[in-house]
Amino acid sequence: MKYETVIGLEVHVELATESKIFCSCSAKFGAEPNDHVCPACCGMPGMLPIVNKKVVDLGMTAGMMLNCDINRTTTFDKKSYYYPDLPCSYQTTQWFAPICVNGKVKINTSKGEKFIRIKQIHMEEDAGKLVHDDWTDTSLVDYNRTSVPLIEIVSQPDLSSAEEVLAYLERLRDLLRFAKVSDCRFEQGSMRCDVNLSIRPEGSDKLGVRTEMKNMNSLSAIERAIDYEVARHIDALENHTEELVQETRRWDDVKGKSYSMRTKETAGDYRYFPDPNIMPVVIDDCWFDSVKASLPEFPEVKKARYIDELGLSEYDADQLTQSRAFCDCFEAAYAECGMAKDCANWIISDCSKALNRRQETADMLKVNGRALGQLIKLVTEDKVGRANAKKILDAMFDGDIDPERYAEENGFIVSNDTGAIEAVVKAVVDADPKSVADFKGGKEKALMALFGKCMKELKGNCNPQVLREILIDCINKQ
Amino acid sequence: MKLYIDVKESSAAKKVAVDDMILTKDLTTTAGSKMLEGYKSLFAAEVVDKLEAAGYDISGKANVGELAIDLLGETSYFGAVETDGKLTNAASVAVKNGDVCGAVVFEVNGANARSAALSDLTFLKPTYGTVSRFGTIPAACSGETVSVMAKTAEDAHALLDTVVGYDSKDGTMHAEEKCALLKSGADFAPVKKVAVAKSLCDTADTTKIEAFKAFLAKEGIEAVEVDADILSSASAAWTALMCAELCNNVSRYDGVKYGYRTKNYKNIDELYTNSRTEAFGMLLKSAVLYGSDALSTGNYEKVYDKGLRVRRVISEYFASLFADYDAVLMPVSSKGEYTMADIEADRYISFKENRYTAPAMITGLPFVVTGGVQLVGNAFSENALLDLAAKFEKEGK
Amino acid sequence: MTKEVLLRLEGENQLALDDAQRDEILSFFDAQSAEFEKLDSIDTENVERMVHVMPILTVVRDDVMIKNFTRDELQAGAPETMDGYWQVPRLVE
Repeated sequence: MKYETVIGLEVHVELATESKIFCSCSAKFGAEPNDHVCPACCGMPGMLPIVNKKVVDLGMTAGMMLNCDINRTTTFDKKSYYYPDLPCSYQTTQWFAPICVNGKVKINTSKGEKFIRIKQIHMEEDAGKLVHDDWTDTSLVDYNRTSVPLIEIVSQPDLSSAEEVLAYLERLRDLLRFAKVSDCRFEQGSMRCDVNLSIRPEGSDKLGVRTEMKNMNSLSAIERAIDYEVARHIDALENHTEELVQETRRWDDVKGKSYSMRTKETAGDYRYFPDPNIMPVVIDDCWFDSVKASLPEFPEVKKARYIDELGLSEYDADQLTQSRAFCDCFEAAYAECGMAKDCANWIISDCSKALNRRQETADMLKVNGRALGQLIKLVTEDKVGRANAKKILDAMFDGDIDPERYAEENGFIVSNDTGAIEAVVKAVVDADPKSVADFKGGKEKALMALFGKCMKELKGNCNPQVLREILIDCINKQ
Repeated sequence: MKLYIDVKESSAAKKVAVDDMILTKDLTTTAGSKMLEGYKSLFAAEVVDKLEAAGYDISGKANVGELAIDLLGETSYFGAVETDGKLTNAASVAVKNGDVCGAVVFEVNGANARSAALSDLTFLKPTYGTVSRFGTIPAACSGETVSVMAKTAEDAHALLDTVVGYDSKDGTMHAEEKCALLKSGADFAPVKKVAVAKSLCDTADTTKIEAFKAFLAKEGIEAVEVDADILSSASAAWTALMCAELCNNVSRYDGVKYGYRTKNYKNIDELYTNSRTEAFGMLLKSAVLYGSDALSTGNYEKVYDKGLRVRRVISEYFASLFADYDAVLMPVSSKGEYTMADIEADRYISFKENRYTAPAMITGLPFVVTGGVQLVGNAFSENALLDLAAKFEKEGK
Repeated sequence: MTKEVLLRLEGENQLALDDAQRDEILSFFDAQSAEFEKLDSIDTENVERMVHVMPILTVVRDDVMIKNFTRDELQAGAPETMDGYWQVPRLVE
């Protein structure tokens, strides 16, 4: 018999905010245990939740990027269960009126284009983290992550293979990074995924028994887990190796197996109810429009514009639109200097190399685009030599500088004093009669050697064309 | 019997007690529970800061019933307060005996109003959202309100003037200009016409109601009896909402982060269950379980959601009354005194006696208690209520 | 209300009652539920639920980080800590 796989995903994404969702503690990743914590984060009584506006901004942004309807009145609810990583024994989330509903995302796979429907996106607080200590046989609780803002993106069960799941997740990641909603790093847990999976005979409209794998945190693990689960389900149906039950399973990526998570019989009823301490968040037109206006172009729209309007090659446009930081830098640089191809080259080649040296990713590019445009102008106007321009770019990675002033302060400005250039050239030519003779004897390389010596003496601050002319002129006079 | 959970030596002229649902930094805060025995908060309630900034010295933390949901403080882990065999809660004793010029208390289920009525004190529960709840022990957040108690309406108003006002740390507050309507000196329309809630008077000793009506007649204030049947529904609805919110709010007390931890555990579930079972009293446990049931799948629509809808019906009923009347007169309790025998006969008596206080608690409306009676007013009508109470205290007694 | 339901509620709320307490609470549930059922006579079919009693506008805050408390202060009253963590019996992984 032929089977088809039905998959729905719940994707958790940590939002790129400075502070937590309901208190002002830092939301940053990576700190000493329990350093980003206040009485609210460790469940002490008395503090009241005040919603971080940026969280609502980013929730709306995500919804707009994923073609959702935005609930203009959105509310928060409480979900109750006991676990040590949940200090109040309740999580504040959205159950009755989530911020976004009814979206869709287009994916491309080997089978072509497909739309995946989004059921809803809701805002909520993250839980803390547990560390298990073998020495004392205890668990240790860290509340730094408690109340870090999340959105949960719930898809309809429209996915039917690991390939589609990966395409969907990559598309979500690209769009959310592009809109600066989240850095979406699986390895740091800022993007996590619950996979709901069932299989059924092809053509059947009845859903099979569903299993859920929680907190998957790498694309490759998700792919392997789906393949394993599909095989396990089919094996169970065909060979009656086991009886499938609706359950939560844990994926062990090292062993390549999924395991049933024994859950307590009493757990399960979350008893959602509206949070009386948080008034409904009403998104008026002004707020809605300001978020709408801040949305970036979709990467593919930008790419087409870069090609059609700015004349970039397909390759350059593709490279730039891999990263929002690249695009922002490119557009600011282009606005300053008007030279699209040069801007693209500087970013794709020089900036990328500098990022690599610093072991940083494209999204971490912080170079001021306007300053890069000024630098490109200095180079094309022959005010700064290319080698010195790269030094200036390096300085731009370390801080916001004015390239022209920096060039002046560091002696990088190309000299227009032909008398001074002639003097240097004459001294070099006089000191190296052998190279002069070699060049006159037909060795082109000898000219390059002399050129290099002159350029070195001039500290690079000379228009190569001008130097070349003066040098040949000087040799010919010998 | 313990009047104060914690005290501070004070020679200040303006001494005030706050009840033990309100967090203080130097004094312990227990909410009347073994769970929080000796608990010291890292921060003080906004109202405590406001009192201290106004020159009040907080000389003691008045004992309360566990999480302030009981009749008259009888469920405090630190002991009930009895005077000549009669129950009242600690804050009203402190005010009555002159230890302090007034008390700032946290009203959840009517215990303070009842106690003030039984002790012939003035009590005012302001409009929901006019006094910050920042730094209060959460119990039933949708209705609980910081309130004031004193010997006279003037003294109560002076305390109210101090604690009222917008606070950005509480997301359920009215704007400052609305809060300012409560303060002495703000313009107000005096009470001219009073509705008397028949359905509530029918089940109570109405001696004090009759005395108050006589005062109203003397003042030329019209008092008209209204059926007010719907107000009798407030008790069941508020009890369900309160217990559900309470269930959720006390789930944070689990023996992990602070507070009581059992000695008897081998795993996390035993730690949770034994800590909570050993530290919570029977009334609180019952409330938690009843509230949990009200929120359960299958019951949510039938109970919790129904409670929320009944709340609106009651709220709209009050609105219709306030189209014609300036205040609604009703009793505070069914009888004039309570003893431990009443509690032994029925542990759950506070969920029945709250029929008089639940109408205002569930709707967030303000009410004043004076001369053992209660006047519920429209939102922001505190000035009118206290003005009438002051007149009664001068002329009516 | 049955004892089975009550046992489930105890589990959900991390409480353990003895049988005498269960009997008492069951009769409380019955009485309180009977009171609540009287509300059935109020027609709430077209009534909107009222979570918040006052019409207060949305309150949001700016995304600003503030640190007011230290870990040592927060753990001063903790039953058990280790190396800056709160400590609990081992959870099964």
